[in-house]
Amino acid sequence: MTVLRVTSLSKTYRESSGDVHALGPVSFESEKGEFLCFLGPTGCGKTTLLRTIAGLEKPDTGEVELPLHSEGMKPVIGYVFQQGALFPWMSVYANIEFPLRAKKIDKDIRREKVETILEMVELSSFSFSYPHQLSGGMQQRAALARSLIMEPDILLMDEPFSSLDTRTSQQLQENLKSLLKKTSTTVLFVTHNIEEAVYLAGEVIVLGHRPGRIVRRETIDLREPRSRLSDSFTEYLVSLRKTFELLVSDQ
Amino acid sequence: MSFVRVALGFSLAALIGIPAGLLMGASRRVRKYLSLMVEMARPLSAIALLPLSIIIFKATTFAQLLGLEHLRYQKHLLNEMQLGMIFILLWGGVFPIILGTIQGVRSVRKMHLEAASILGAGRFFTFRSVIIPSALPDIFHGLKLGIGRCWMVIIAAEMLPGTNSGIGYMIRYSYQLSRYDIMLASIVIVAFVGALFSKGLEFLGEKSLVLRSRER
Repeated sequence: MTVLRVTSLSKTYRESSGDVHALGPVSFESEKGEFLCFLGPTGCGKTTLLRTIAGLEKPDTGEVELPLHSEGMKPVIGYVFQQGALFPWMSVYANIEFPLRAKKIDKDIRREKVETILEMVELSSFSFSYPHQLSGGMQQRAALARSLIMEPDILLMDEPFSSLDTRTSQQLQENLKSLLKKTSTTVLFVTHNIEEAVYLAGEVIVLGHRPGRIVRRETIDLREPRSRLSDSFTEYLVSLRKTFELLVSDQ
Repeated sequence: MSFVRVALGFSLAALIGIPAGLLMGASRRVRKYLSLMVEMARPLSAIALLPLSIIIFKATTFAQLLGLEHLRYQKHLLNEMQLGMIFILLWGGVFPIILGTIQGVRSVRKMHLEAASILGAGRFFTFRSVIIPSALPDIFHGLKLGIGRCWMVIIAAEMLPGTNSGIGYMIRYSYQLSRYDIMLASIVIVAFVGALFSKGLEFLGEKSLVLRSRER
C-alpha cells in the first residue's frame, strides 16, 4: 500500500543574493512500512525534501500526496530534527507527553503511553530530567520517543544521529531498528553517512548536488541482523561510495 | 507608602504590558498599528506627564474613586493613592514590559514552533506551551526594567507637590528641615529597595532563564 507519493517536486529559495534552486524535480513513492534512506552530499536539498513533505515548506512545483488522506484517514507525520528540537523548559516526560496533550488525550492514557515509550527508549529513570541534563544521544532518543508516541504513519528523520559520535550513533541506529520492528511506520531517513544508510535502509536513494535530484536507487538486500563487517555490506558500501565520489567530483 | 504605590502601579503595568506585548509579538498587524504609538509614547518621561496627570485626575484618590468619601480626612491607605500618581507609574513601567515581552515572543526559536506544529499543537496550545515559556526570560527582563523605572518615577513624583507621604516626600521634607541625616538615610533606603526589587524579579526569572540559555 502506497502511503506517500511525491511527484516532480521542486523548490527554489529566493534570497537577496540570488535564487537557490535547492531541489528537484524529484519523484518517488513509498510503501507502508518501508525504510527509505536519502543519501547525498551537503546542500543537495535533502532537508528541503523532508521539510516539504512535512508541510513546513511550500513546493514551487509538484505535489506531495498522502493516499491515506483520500481514504478519509488523517495520516500522522512525525519529524525528528537534527538536534535541539526538544523544548528546553520541559522535562523529558513533558516533552514526550506534548503531542498527546495537544490532541487532548486523557491524562491516564497519556501517562500509560509515555511510560511505555520511555521504557522502550530506555529513558525511564530520566523522565524528570531536563534536556540540557542529558547527553546528545539521550536527547535524540527522547526526541525519537516524542515522535513515535504519535504512532506516525510516516516518520521523517533529518540526520538525527549526525551530531553524535560514531559509537553512540551506531547504538541509536540499532535502537531505531528494534523500535520500528513493532510498528508499520514508513520511514524517510536523510543522511550523508553511507554506512548509516546501508545499515538502516530497505532502499537507498542517492541525491545529486544542487539542485537535488535522484541519481541512483539501490535496494539494500541484506539479511537481518545486518553486520557492518560482512562482505555484502562492504560491497554496498563501496558501490555507493563510488557514486558518491563521482557526485562530489562533478561539482 | 511609596512601596504600596509602586506595587499597585507596577502590577497594573504588568497586567497591561504583558498581554499587550504578547499580542504585539504574535500578530504582525497589531504590531504595525501599535508600535508607532508605543515608540511615540515611550520616550515621554513619566515625570513630564505628572503635572498633566494632576490636571486630569486632580487629586482624586482611590478612596474617592471607590466611593469611600467618608475616609477623606482620615489617615488611610486608599486616601494616599492618588490616581495621577498611579497613572504615571503605569506610564513609566509599562513600556519596558511591552518591549521585553515582544522581544521574547519574537525570539522564540523557529525550530520549536515547527516542532510544535508537527506534533499536532494548535495555535492556542502552541502559544501557551511553547511561546510563553520560551519568552519568559525576556518578559522577566522587561519586568525588571519596568520596576526600576517605576521606583525612579515614584520618588521623583513624590518630591513634587500633591502628596504628603512616601519616601520621595521624606527626602524633600528633610531637605527643607535641613535634616541631612534623614535625607541620606532615605536615599540609602531608596537604593536598597530598588536593588531588592530587581534582585527579587531576577530570582523569579532565574529558572526560566537557566533552562533557555543552557540549550544554546
